[in-house]
Amino acid sequence: MVDLEQYLPILIFLFVAAALSALFVFLPMGVSRLTGAHKPDAEKLSEYECGFPAFEDPRSQFDVKFYLVAISFLLFDLEASFLFPWAVSLEYTGWTGWSAMVIFLGILAVGLAYEWKMGALDWQ
Amino acid sequence: MDYATSFYFTATEIGLSLCGLALLLVAGWQGNKSARMVTIISVAALFGAAIFSIGLFDRATGEVAGRAFGDLYRADAFGSFAKVLIYVAAAAVLIVTPRFFERIDAYRAEYPVLMLFNAVGMGMMVSATDLMTLYIGLEMSSLSSYVLASFLRNDERSSEAGLKYFVLGALASGIILYGVSLVYGFTGSTNYAGIRAAFEASFSTGALFGVVFVLAGLAFKISAVPFHMWTPDVYEGAPTPVTAFFASAPKVAAMGMLLRMAMDPFGGEADAWRQIVIFAALASIVVGALGAIGQQNLKRLLAYSSINNVGFIMIGLAAATPGGVAGALTYLAIYVAMTIGSFTALLMLRAPDGTNLETFADISGLSTKRPALAWSLLALMFSLAGIPPLFGFWGKFVVFQAAVQADLVALAAIGIAASVIGAFYYLKFIKVMFFDEPTREVEATSPVSHWVVLGICVAIMSPLGYLLTVPLGEWTAQAAASFVAAM
Amino acid sequence: MIGIEHYIVVSAILFVLGVLGIFLNRKNIIVILMAIELILLSVNLQLVAFSAFLGDLVGQVFAMFVLTVAAGEAAVGLAILVIYFRGRGTIAVDDVDRLKG
Repeated sequence: MVDLEQYLPILIFLFVAAALSALFVFLPMGVSRLTGAHKPDAEKLSEYECGFPAFEDPRSQFDVKFYLVAISFLLFDLEASFLFPWAVSLEYTGWTGWSAMVIFLGILAVGLAYEWKMGALDWQ
Repeated sequence: MDYATSFYFTATEIGLSLCGLALLLVAGWQGNKSARMVTIISVAALFGAAIFSIGLFDRATGEVAGRAFGDLYRADAFGSFAKVLIYVAAAAVLIVTPRFFERIDAYRAEYPVLMLFNAVGMGMMVSATDLMTLYIGLEMSSLSSYVLASFLRNDERSSEAGLKYFVLGALASGIILYGVSLVYGFTGSTNYAGIRAAFEASFSTGALFGVVFVLAGLAFKISAVPFHMWTPDVYEGAPTPVTAFFASAPKVAAMGMLLRMAMDPFGGEADAWRQIVIFAALASIVVGALGAIGQQNLKRLLAYSSINNVGFIMIGLAAATPGGVAGALTYLAIYVAMTIGSFTALLMLRAPDGTNLETFADISGLSTKRPALAWSLLALMFSLAGIPPLFGFWGKFVVFQAAVQADLVALAAIGIAASVIGAFYYLKFIKVMFFDEPTREVEATSPVSHWVVLGICVAIMSPLGYLLTVPLGEWTAQAAASFVAAM
Repeated sequence: MIGIEHYIVVSAILFVLGVLGIFLNRKNIIVILMAIELILLSVNLQLVAFSAFLGDLVGQVFAMFVLTVAAGEAAVGLAILVIYFRGRGTIAVDDVDRLKG
């Protein structure tokens, strides 16, 4: 019943893949550790800002409105990527393809309307 | 391609999507004061979809056989059975939801809308007969689940649960997708029938990788061992109604998807995946039973209990026969009723100030203060453990019967032995609820809606449930036969 | 000549790098989101390579769907990360420990 032999290639495959990716991660680290001098001190580890002392902590909070706009852009931008294959193949898909895209855009419009109403687009 | 037929077969998904979009706009314009109304409409829509699915149950015959949109989707008896379970479970959870959030004034009209979109995705998961439809349905369900898990935005535990669920769920989708791309590459088709035909012609090593990756990712979604680590954390951290939902409807959807995948496209290669399923089933039963011992938090305990129950369902799958699938579906139906009942009882346990109680210390001596609730909880827990007069036993009985008929006697024997370990931690409920001194004040009354949901679940679990064995057996047999028809 | 097996190997390496990125990463949850994207992109590469190799368009259509769903997934993930950060004030992996396990 147990026929483990056929799983052997999977095991080999996973080991090879893991070894290769581990190599990519650790080889540069190892090489730089071996070839370069590794003497960290407070000056070296501090952040460098064009020769000035740092003005503020670089990991400070930024306003969440940037994030909201970025996310909206990302979503609508990528959803629009469906339009390109649709546009070049419209002569084959005909009215069926046209109506399908109108439904899709209608759903996107509902999402946009909700977003607008909830104030995610207000830049204030 | 006949569009009218396609629209007819996919009407539940289309209807729920339109309803969800309309309610989203209502939620946007009316704000939170519409939350009650949106919830009621959503529950009605889910019940309507369930009734429509019952109507579709034996319509998928003849040449079309429920195929919609060029066999991207199939509305057969299996899909309809699973969908009825999913929609009813989602509606039942939605009924007991608002009270939990309203106490802290956190209920929003978007919550039922997310549930509706989740239900659409789950319906697509169980009916998909193409890897592309499957992926879209899976993501539709998963993405709304991540948001639901972190719904209590100001609660650290809820947002952490959402984050963990997101990271591990996205990893699982990635693993499934990697397997899917391998299957596509080595068979040249994303359609289930095409994959099956290609596998029958030749089953290459590359395709075996694909199958293993897909099964591993699906094991993640149903929280089978060894991919169960996220379950206790997410179940504990998420708000209790959301946990009730995660433990019921998405489990049915993921399990239905797994059953269809294993039996339809990979069905000709059952020997290739049977060992994996057997291992996962036994490991889930043992880990679920052992992990539950020593848990103080009842939500964590129910998480381990769900891992344990998934193991039993997978025994039915390991049989890889129509009887096994029918057994797994029977178990799923009983499991959903038990889970929703347990979580409803948990939601009814509140301190007088309205905070929810969720540890063993909180329910000590419950029998003196809320005897009806204590007895209901006891019946549900014993049913989860599969102790004979209760209906939970019947689910275990049918899957073991299927396993024995498929010559997996050893598997069935180990499974039965392991279910005895499981019985141990449910006994703790008797001790704590009936023999310990009461320590906490418990709210004296619960709303009628909660009693109705709990009452129905307990009635199914009681020996009265055995009246259901004959119809349940017929329905599941017919549902399992839809794979044979497809072959 | 670059054959299909080269694409499979590259995509397998990217996939394993992504999985390792999730499990070995001890610093920042944003890195985990990037690792998830890496996994999805390795899948996309493989789908498109198979599609070209088989002369079948389905793989490319699938890749489009994966691309858009990945955008939605990133959006939801970042949104959850933002509410988590608001509550806890940190996104270090080692600090995700309110739920034991």
